[in-house]
Amino acid sequence: MTTRSSACLSMGELSDYWTSDASPEDVERIETHVFTCGACTDLLAAADQLRRRVGDVVRAGAVQAFVTDGLLNQLARDGVRVRSYAMNAGGSVQCAVWDDDEILVTRLRADFSGVTALDAVMRLDTGEEWGRASDIPVPEGSREVIMALPAELVRRAPEVPIRLTLRSSAASPGESPLAEYTFDHRGAHTRRSG
Amino acid sequence: MTGPDAAPFVDRPDGDLAREVASAPAGHAAAAEGELYRRFARRVRLFGLRYLRDGMAADDLAQQVMLIAIERLRAGEIRNPDEIGSFILSTSRMVATGLRRTERRRQDIHMRVEVTEPTAMPRDERFFDADRIRPCLASLRERERTILLLTFYAERTATEIAVGMGMSAGAVRVARHRAVAAMRDCLEARRSA
Repeated sequence: MTTRSSACLSMGELSDYWTSDASPEDVERIETHVFTCGACTDLLAAADQLRRRVGDVVRAGAVQAFVTDGLLNQLARDGVRVRSYAMNAGGSVQCAVWDDDEILVTRLRADFSGVTALDAVMRLDTGEEWGRASDIPVPEGSREVIMALPAELVRRAPEVPIRLTLRSSAASPGESPLAEYTFDHRGAHTRRSG
Repeated sequence: MTGPDAAPFVDRPDGDLAREVASAPAGHAAAAEGELYRRFARRVRLFGLRYLRDGMAADDLAQQVMLIAIERLRAGEIRNPDEIGSFILSTSRMVATGLRRTERRRQDIHMRVEVTEPTAMPRDERFFDADRIRPCLASLRERERTILLLTFYAERTATEIAVGMGMSAGAVRVARHRAVAAMRDCLEARRSA
């Protein structure tokens, strides 16, 4: 039994240890504590596992998220195959995924002036909800948000138009959406050799 | 009544184990040495992962540091065995500095330790697997998920993320702590389910 020399650290504090954000004082405090506390050793190992598994999931193209250009650049460096579309507000795109795509990225463009966060809903043309997201961050002055979907998820989507609606997270109920986009989904394609 | 010496090793404080190694003739406290190794090698390995950024180098560091610690205990050269954690941490820092300095030395240590310390390195692979991570990631709010991906996948600092997301660095750190806590709760719930 390794005794606890002081109050245990939170998983959040311990996760800082794996980032470049931790100050030398934070690092010293975490290390000194972990080397006398078995419970926090387990938590630090869990935080390490978490960061590595998150990376694995992204590299496998299995993540659905709103991302940045920096993250897309990292995906490119890691050799992840990304198919990209760009759409203006009110626009539509005939979209499909190919058998070697891993992530489908759509740049959703609109006037987001004064908006700091968005909510999104995706519906099939039958009205059935296909996906939902809340609190999508919008940097000041940004004119697009970048949505990444696993290609595998898109492959399984029904071959019908899918409508995506963006609203300000601060909008009152009944307020008009900021933008709508239509994905004319054409399913999954296979490349033929020769 | 059972005395403290009869308590299972796993329940004994670090200082007790270190004292037992220090007071026994060299090599006659194998169980206490094994328990110290089990407890501390993974801590040194975690330390090594942060500083050396390489699993094999971290393994080497852990084996080298534990070898030094056990040898110094056996030789009675650690003045206060209750401070064994502190000794191992400072030794880790010293050895890691040396390991970073030259790759050739790392390879030398690897060859030497493989011969002298055959004990398997403890692994921390049991906590989370990708099948549980995916749904837990999906359950986060978008902002928190984006921050987690930028931190742990793209290895961006809070300041860099803050610039890209129109937030303050402090707010990014708070959101990241919240996301990590939510992930842990979700993963624990799925593990016990």
